[in-house]
Amino acid sequence: MKSWIEAFSIIDFISVGILLTAVTLNAFKSIESYVKAYTINSWLLAGLIAVVAVLVGETHLYIAALLTLATKGIIIPLFLRRIVRRMRVTREIQPYISNSLSLAISGILVAVVYASLKEGIFITGFSKNVLQISIAVILISLFVMITRKKALTQAIGLLFMENGLFLAGFSLTFGMPTMIELGVLFDMLMGVIILGIFVIQIKRAFASADLDKLTVLKG
Amino acid sequence: MRVYVLSILIIPLVTAVVCYNITKPRIVGYVSLGGTVALAVAAFPTIAASLSGTVSALDDTFSMDALSGYIMALVIFLSIASAAYSISYLEHEYDAGLTNVRGVRTYYGLLHLFIFTMLLVTMANNLAIMWIGIEATTIVSALLIGLGFHKRPLAVEAAWKYIILCTVGITFALLGTFIAYYASTAVIGTEGALNWTTLRGMAYRMNPETMKLAFIFVLVGYGTKAGLAPVHNWLPDAHSQAPSPISALLSGILLNTAFYGIMRFVSIVEPSTGSDFTGHLLIFFGLVSVGISAIFILVQENYKRLLAYSSIEHMGIISLGIGIGGPVGIYGALLHILNHALSKPLMFFASGKIQSRFGTTNIANVNGVLSSMPLLGTLTFIGALSLSGTPPFNIFVSEFTVLKAGVDRGLWPVVVLFLIFVVIVFYGMLSGFGKMLFGRPGDGTAAQAGHRPGREGAGEWLANTVMIFMAVAVIALGFKVPAIIDETIRTCVQVLGAK
Repeated sequence: MKSWIEAFSIIDFISVGILLTAVTLNAFKSIESYVKAYTINSWLLAGLIAVVAVLVGETHLYIAALLTLATKGIIIPLFLRRIVRRMRVTREIQPYISNSLSLAISGILVAVVYASLKEGIFITGFSKNVLQISIAVILISLFVMITRKKALTQAIGLLFMENGLFLAGFSLTFGMPTMIELGVLFDMLMGVIILGIFVIQIKRAFASADLDKLTVLKG
Repeated sequence: MRVYVLSILIIPLVTAVVCYNITKPRIVGYVSLGGTVALAVAAFPTIAASLSGTVSALDDTFSMDALSGYIMALVIFLSIASAAYSISYLEHEYDAGLTNVRGVRTYYGLLHLFIFTMLLVTMANNLAIMWIGIEATTIVSALLIGLGFHKRPLAVEAAWKYIILCTVGITFALLGTFIAYYASTAVIGTEGALNWTTLRGMAYRMNPETMKLAFIFVLVGYGTKAGLAPVHNWLPDAHSQAPSPISALLSGILLNTAFYGIMRFVSIVEPSTGSDFTGHLLIFFGLVSVGISAIFILVQENYKRLLAYSSIEHMGIISLGIGIGGPVGIYGALLHILNHALSKPLMFFASGKIQSRFGTTNIANVNGVLSSMPLLGTLTFIGALSLSGTPPFNIFVSEFTVLKAGVDRGLWPVVVLFLIFVVIVFYGMLSGFGKMLFGRPGDGTAAQAGHRPGREGAGEWLANTVMIFMAVAVIALGFKVPAIIDETIRTCVQVLGAK
């Protein structure tokens, strides 16, 4: 199993998959596809942790993989789908810039990350590429957050960012102790639920969930 | 000892559940006040012990030294003050039909959860658990701002900005924590690699480059939460839209718990990188915060937002104090935390009363508070004088200490800029509140027409007592810092490793 994983550089394949699902956000037009992309992204993240668990053979990594799968891969996507249905949102995402331009900018972001982290100070445990990819995912999701109008897309951008962060943390340290991983995931789960509540509140208060309505408070 | 330590975390949780299940809106407030008093009684032995040594529980998961004890004492003090003030505030809202029984129950339940999360931050020994606590404070307080009770669109807007900006920020702090974990596992392996008690002893052996990167991420993350400019945009919205007792907690202590995270990191980053690196960053962001808030205070037309910008200014001063460093600078910063935690909640409490009386948060529509409401006017006057840094009030003392530290280090550009900004703030604060206090009372009658006199009950009496106590403390601390507080802060300075 181990030699098989190494021979086919499975880890690189999975992390590239994580990057690609983040990039596809720029091309999608409906919120449903955002949720689907997030689900695939989380499954890939859990899969990556599981593969590394096989390589290293540590129990806490298996637990981390299962926890990630349960929260990010199953509970959060189900919750997001419920919100999407409840909102009966217009399916259009309405980005502030065109999809092709935002795809191009994402490409540039990835290039910048690779160029600047080439001579990094890190010796990553299991792959040269994972740290670069995780930082690229974080930047792309931040970019998606600032260029999309719907409140829900901002929340999904935040979730992608957290996946990127987990990947980064994981490539640096082989994961945190299980108790801490559990606490962090719990916080994120609560955060998502509360973001969902607020999305519905915004819709109720402003009769739409577009963020350009939220400009009353300033100065 | 262990029992006492854990009871600090259990009591607020129990109180939250109990408050949520009481259906009588008149009683629930007193139960919540009782809960905070019980918390204070239970926490007293632990805090007292932590001032002279380390107290730990549950296998070093929780560990408290003087600094944790100091911040925890402030959290508990403000919880009591806020719970006492909430009674009359919510009675007023309830009588005016702005909230219902469910809203009141939810409010008190969330209030105690909020207190729990802040206590968790101060007790955590592990830097990642501290992160979990700080993120939890964001989640709970966002609910208090946005849904606490009456559902107003502006509060939802403020809460959304708050939770999105702070969560993004805090996610960066988690990355910083991961990087610090990476640096420390490289030295000592995974056992206790994020425990503050372990890190203190071996901090100088960690890779300085890695720790620099970690500190930048942590500063951005916790700095967002602490309201340091230029990522302060959420703060005026959240603080002005939250119910007044919650604004007091957010401003008086939540910002400080986030800053507490930065202080912990400073003291483990400094030994390997040298104090210049962290110092320069903190001085820079401190000055930017004071400068930006000074400009906004000058042009502000809404008194709750004015108070919120004043919080950014004071967080900037605390950051400057820590950045300038040395025993004097850190002493000044820690004293400033206490002073700000007294003056700002006093002002938010008073402004809540003014708001319910005049029905507006616009400075132009409030006039003659001093002559129409002498007690409230006097308290507001004391608070405004203190916040603007007028001698001989408390904030003047700590600002002066920070300034002295800057002069001692010979940081003249910093000192000059700081003085200019503080003078602008002084003028802005006093001209805004001076107009509200001394203007002719007749001018605002149109706004007062809709006012119905509130119930002069025990709740009102409690709120006034709390405010009078705080005002007395504000004045007393300006004349002399009591020996016990002085001693505590000196111990904290040692904990932070200032030489």
